[in-house]
Amino acid sequence: MKTLILGEVIDNKLSSGTLEIINKANSLSLEYKVVTVGSSDAPVLGSSTFHQTYIKRSAESLQFNNVADKLSQIIQEENISLVLAPSTYQCRDLVSFLSVDLLSSPVSNVINFDIQDDSVVTTNSINGGESIYKTKITSSCSLLLIRPKSFDPIDIELNSEYETIEVENSSIEIFDVFKEEKSGPQLEDSKIVISAGRGMVEKENLSLVEDLANKLNAAIGGTRAIVDAGWMPYSQQVGQTGKTVKPDVYIACGISGATQHQVGMKDSKFIIAINKDEEAPIFQLADLGIVGDTLSVIPKINENI
Amino acid sequence: MNITVCAKQIPDPANEITYDNGLISRPEEQVLDDTDRYGIEIALQLKEKYEGEVTVISMGPAGTQKGLQQALQMGADKTLYVDDDSLKGSNSLMTASILSELAKTTDADIVIFGTESTDGYTGTVPQQVARFLKLDCISYIKAIEISENVTLTRQTLEGSEKVIMPEKCVLSVTAGGVEPRYPNFKDIMAAKQKPIEKVELSSLNMNASQNLEFLNIEKLENSKNGEKIIDEGEAYQVVIEKLKELKVI
Repeated sequence: MKTLILGEVIDNKLSSGTLEIINKANSLSLEYKVVTVGSSDAPVLGSSTFHQTYIKRSAESLQFNNVADKLSQIIQEENISLVLAPSTYQCRDLVSFLSVDLLSSPVSNVINFDIQDDSVVTTNSINGGESIYKTKITSSCSLLLIRPKSFDPIDIELNSEYETIEVENSSIEIFDVFKEEKSGPQLEDSKIVISAGRGMVEKENLSLVEDLANKLNAAIGGTRAIVDAGWMPYSQQVGQTGKTVKPDVYIACGISGATQHQVGMKDSKFIIAINKDEEAPIFQLADLGIVGDTLSVIPKINENI
Repeated sequence: MNITVCAKQIPDPANEITYDNGLISRPEEQVLDDTDRYGIEIALQLKEKYEGEVTVISMGPAGTQKGLQQALQMGADKTLYVDDDSLKGSNSLMTASILSELAKTTDADIVIFGTESTDGYTGTVPQQVARFLKLDCISYIKAIEISENVTLTRQTLEGSEKVIMPEKCVLSVTAGGVEPRYPNFKDIMAAKQKPIEKVELSSLNMNASQNLEFLNIEKLENSKNGEKIIDEGEAYQVVIEKLKELKVI
């Protein structure tokens, strides 16, 4: 099945979401090429094992329509019948645009897929991972948006050999580009994640979680509720609309465990939950559950580590 | 300025979502998706600055129309909706096709969406509508600043960036980007007088078809039956012991 993997650049190299999809494509022996969209000047994306095209977009103009035009052209000229993309902001925009050009509805939130009798069959996790939902795609080109961390990333040597295509600017200028400062362990690759929810009661109490994170060299996450409340930046949100994490240890502090949160953390290897409400759904997922007030348990952990 | 906001009626999120043959079961009474409140709020702020009309468009079983009423209570002027049995189980592209046709009937300058619904989470419809309408799509807006121009802040993978809103475009707004207003008693009463108009599917051009075939849903056994301890003041020791065992400390 002729496949196009839509890649993305993070920190000047191929994103881990892209490397995860490449690994899966190899395991299914798909015939694929990678087309990566980014604005970096000279990212490291190439490989001796696959063909890489870099569509360089400008960082000064919103030009996703022009990028999508180019991608549509490649897909149609090369008779691509499967497009695989990580479920990120940029790829969601691009795949949605492509779906209109190709008249093929995409499947979002894919956590696994397979080829059966020349058709693509996708698996989605629904209700926070409580159930899985399988779909068969019947259009001539299948479009998949794949949740991060669904597969292990491939470990390959990347180089700077690839073809580059530039696209025209649009009339919409981008300004005030802001890059969030990355300090300390990052959510996506930290071995330990400590997340906070409404049970922390107020923003000031997050210092307790920060103290524990410092002691354990852990990354800090939060639920949508506290991100919406402005206690943490969006980049720290764990869950359906935020990040997916899979650390060795996940400590949920004052998190009830709504399905939207579970989908972002349920595959963590060991889950510790601290919550006042004995009936909170988070305890279903927890390997170790402490029924108690987070605000009194965490300070004691901090003092005694 | 004609401002069109897309709104979806969804089953009350307080209840667990159930499925029937692969489709979300929809009770007669559905509510406005909270995600859409952010889009409606932005529409109302644009109307306050530029005047014009705010039209809510919606597709799906109308039922008691509670969710559509809730959109009007916030301050939208009128609602157009499509409700047709043949649309049951529509994929995102079919939905986007119908919504873009509805948006055309409103002669919209600006079409506003939440980024993804709280029941389906496909998160592709705003961009698909933009492509159908051949408009620019400013997605993942997390802040709006209305002065001489309208400045939109977009969420990106690494942070954020700003653009000036063009005269015609599609916007998708993230939750938390603005503070949606709460209707008071007067707003609730006034909403009852506002028009809610059903548009017949036959009057619209559907430019997409079904390409996703439901195979099955399988319930997973998620409960880990982990250890559960009631804290009587000493549970912290169990946590510390466990962290040592896991070689975290």
